[in-house]
Amino acid sequence: MRPEHWMFTIPLRLRSLFRGAQANQELDDELRDHLVRKTQQYVGQGMTQEEAHLRARLDLGGIEQTKEDCRDARRVNWIQDFVQDLHVGLRMLRKSAGFTVVATVTLALGIGATTAIFSIVNAVLLSPLPFPEPDRLVRITFSEPGLGLRDVPFSVPELDDLRNRAGVFTDVSTIASNSVNLTGADHPERLEFLVTHSNYFSMLGATPQIGRLFGPQDFALGFAPVTVISDGLWRRAYGADRNVIGRTVRLDGDPYTIVGVLPPEFRHPGPTVSGNVEVFQTAGFSADPAPPPARSTRIMPSSIGRLKPGITVEQAQARLTAMATEICHDYPADYPAQDQWTIEIQPLQEALVGNVRPMLLVLLGAVILIVFIVSLNIANLLLARASGRQQEMAVRCALGATHSRMIRQMLTESMLLSVIGGAAGVLTAVGTIGFLLRLVPSNIPRLNEVRIDWVVLAFALAISVLTGLAFGLAPAFQSAKAALSSAIREGARGSGSSAKTGRLRDALIVSELAFAVVLMVAAGLLLRTLRGLLEENPGFNPTQVVAANLPLPEPNDPKADPYLSLAQETSFNRELLRRMRAIPGIELAAITSDLPTTNLRLKDAQAIGALSTEDSPIDSSLDLRAERIRISPDYFKVMQAPLLRGRFFAEGDEDGKQPVAIIDETTARKYWPTRDPLGRLVRFGQAPTLPPRMVVGIVRDIKNDGLDIAGVPHIYVPIYQSPDRDLSVVLRTSLPAKVLEPQIRHEIQSIDPGLPVFGISSMNDVLDRSLASRRFSADVVGGFAGLALLLASIGIYGLLAYMVGQRSREIGLRMALGARRWDVLKLILTKGAVLAGVGIAVGVIVSAATASMMASLLYGVHPHDPLVFLAVPLLLFAVAVLASYLPARRATKVDPIVALREA
Amino acid sequence: MSKPSDLVQGTLDMLLLKILALEPMNGFAVSQRLKQMSGDVLQVSDGSLYPALHKLEQEGWITAEWKTSEYGRRAKYYSLTRLGRRQLEKEADNWGRLSSAISRVIKLKEA
Repeated sequence: MRPEHWMFTIPLRLRSLFRGAQANQELDDELRDHLVRKTQQYVGQGMTQEEAHLRARLDLGGIEQTKEDCRDARRVNWIQDFVQDLHVGLRMLRKSAGFTVVATVTLALGIGATTAIFSIVNAVLLSPLPFPEPDRLVRITFSEPGLGLRDVPFSVPELDDLRNRAGVFTDVSTIASNSVNLTGADHPERLEFLVTHSNYFSMLGATPQIGRLFGPQDFALGFAPVTVISDGLWRRAYGADRNVIGRTVRLDGDPYTIVGVLPPEFRHPGPTVSGNVEVFQTAGFSADPAPPPARSTRIMPSSIGRLKPGITVEQAQARLTAMATEICHDYPADYPAQDQWTIEIQPLQEALVGNVRPMLLVLLGAVILIVFIVSLNIANLLLARASGRQQEMAVRCALGATHSRMIRQMLTESMLLSVIGGAAGVLTAVGTIGFLLRLVPSNIPRLNEVRIDWVVLAFALAISVLTGLAFGLAPAFQSAKAALSSAIREGARGSGSSAKTGRLRDALIVSELAFAVVLMVAAGLLLRTLRGLLEENPGFNPTQVVAANLPLPEPNDPKADPYLSLAQETSFNRELLRRMRAIPGIELAAITSDLPTTNLRLKDAQAIGALSTEDSPIDSSLDLRAERIRISPDYFKVMQAPLLRGRFFAEGDEDGKQPVAIIDETTARKYWPTRDPLGRLVRFGQAPTLPPRMVVGIVRDIKNDGLDIAGVPHIYVPIYQSPDRDLSVVLRTSLPAKVLEPQIRHEIQSIDPGLPVFGISSMNDVLDRSLASRRFSADVVGGFAGLALLLASIGIYGLLAYMVGQRSREIGLRMALGARRWDVLKLILTKGAVLAGVGIAVGVIVSAATASMMASLLYGVHPHDPLVFLAVPLLLFAVAVLASYLPARRATKVDPIVALREA
Repeated sequence: MSKPSDLVQGTLDMLLLKILALEPMNGFAVSQRLKQMSGDVLQVSDGSLYPALHKLEQEGWITAEWKTSEYGRRAKYYSLTRLGRRQLEKEADNWGRLSSAISRVIKLKEA
């Protein structure tokens, strides 16, 4: 329609809408005028007054019908109808308050849970990274597939190649994340810090809250003496003092000048240990403390880059692949052909959230299943109500309501319900999202961006409307059809027209049960995984062990380093152990560089050092690698890890003595498959000048890298021979961690008051925390599965109870004709069992087809785990039969006399 | 809305516009004029006439005015708008083309 046309029609529509009464009056007048004239005309033709009047009315073909047609011509009827339907709908909802409350609460729970989970999915997976042109940001990783290695570190010349030779990036910055001791504030703190190039912030497009961020002036070969701090640290340690700029802060003993504070919303878009980097430094990685740059000196763990405008990830990848081939060709000594060194890029967002995607998608799937089940349940309630309203519908139908008009009214009612439920759901989500976020494991990135924004609200609205349609359509069509067919015949008592409704209701229940099975199977698999991991033997006895972390600082300035020499650190370690053992209640104490299942230093290929053994020559085509863990002599005794052969370390295994090592079973199997490793020599790195270590013992495998990670080879070396700054103490004691905490901290800080001591907890808690994210998904999906079970049993109960009510006359008749209680019981129970059986069968088939999508979330449990696939159907079936028993028993209580008389 | 079955779809609108193009009149007069002009060939029931008039009014093609009639009562008089005149021309055009095309086909000599 042209705008000019609207100029005429819009006022007309508005008039019809808001001056409806006047318009109706005028319509009356007009038609009355017509009747008067027509009558006069007929009288003029010789009819009597009455005859003429009747003829005139007949010509008009039913005055009310004509009026309705004229009103239809106004084209605003649907609005008026809608308002009217809304009134009727509200009245209906008020009238059946019980139903309304139940439906609204289930909807609020379903939509609320979905909205809350979606708000997390939206922030983490869907919304673009909060940086300008985020799709140009990529994570750059090097791999050596020939060695089975991903994420191998960078050297400075390789980074220069990315910048200058590749021609696809505007900026590349390394991102080296680690922890650092902050001293000088009221107590020493362990902070996560990030070393970048000076272009890091400008590449991301970040702006400071106060001060400035890094710029070209901060370029340094080594570390620039400046730092940028996070908003969180600024508030925590400096009370949000705006004069913090220019202040000096000591990080691992080195002084840095604070030049800027980041805004609260800034988060480093890369892997982090604690979820938030608090201190940023910039370095060139080409001078002290880094070794002189060389191609083979790979010291930078990973990088991110910004692609030039207009270059796609695919184009850039193609160019980088070609460049890697050129580089391998140019420097064959640094890139042995069999390593197959390659460069890979991945959109930064994918790289950041890739590992949590499966979990979040499973949660979203679970919560959407819950919405389905909720809708099906409400659809069933509505269907039951609709059968009760058949008479009303029949009357409406007889009075001239059209089929579509009645469907519209029923839909308006269910939509009203779903929108009310949706609004309650959004309120639920707003109210619970904070609570939910506290449960969410903190290793999920971007949680700080989670909020109920318009995208989330739009989603909630869409879900509400869809559920409204889903649970409203079936009853609407059904009742409209039923009304048309049965017209005013006899009313609700007739059982003939309910056969179709009955089938529809059966179908709804069956699909509800099927969805419940899918959810319960998913929950069963996750819970089995979690249970399996909780029961997993970690390779040591975590009970009655308390652990604490006390990382030593590593200053860049050797003069400021109190732990520079092995002798200095060894004397600290011995003093530390002496003091720990002196604490009352502590039986044994030991030091380790890697507390099992914790990952305090973002292990990467760097931590897993190359090694060679005398039994595998250096020129062997296979590069040997193992994770090196430094421990003090009593470590395995504290952990109660069994020694298989040889001996543990002793106090005498120190500097100047024969270097020794203990290996685990995996290492023994992997590198000495054919001979006894005891007494054999092993060397870290391939340089022949390094002193070889003698294998003196073999221990059982310990799950150092996580309960769900197996098969990593480990080599233990005495910390008195090979120092490490990342220290943890493990103490065997019957006292709880809480009691020991002040003493542990006091004793450690009386040796060095600048040492932060954190994470003092029982080893069992440490193991538990390592399963946080699995526990979260298992708990959430398990909770939903429980809800699904409840809703499904309510559904089947409601259906059968309704059926019993409808068929009480038939049941009474059967009993009058001699049916026994058991026959009646069987009649209803069979119905319930058949419904449950079909629903469960369908659910099992769907689960079996989809369970493999969850494979990445499972550990030690097959996606088609027979136990889960047996237990879930049995449980659901038992609950369904129980839910059918109640109405069945009521059926047997039907009094034949009463039932027959009532009819 | 019930439609007169013997009228080609849409032609009723055109006829009503044409009649009102001659002079403004009320609904009853329109029904009389329609019968008169078509020589009783086009029978439009009163029940179809009024919804059709109201539709034209909503489209903005005709406009209505309440006047006191010769019988001394208030009656609704319809008249053509500028938009309606344009619509009439368009429909008359279409009709002309359609009917001449149909008559050409009908008049084809059988071989």
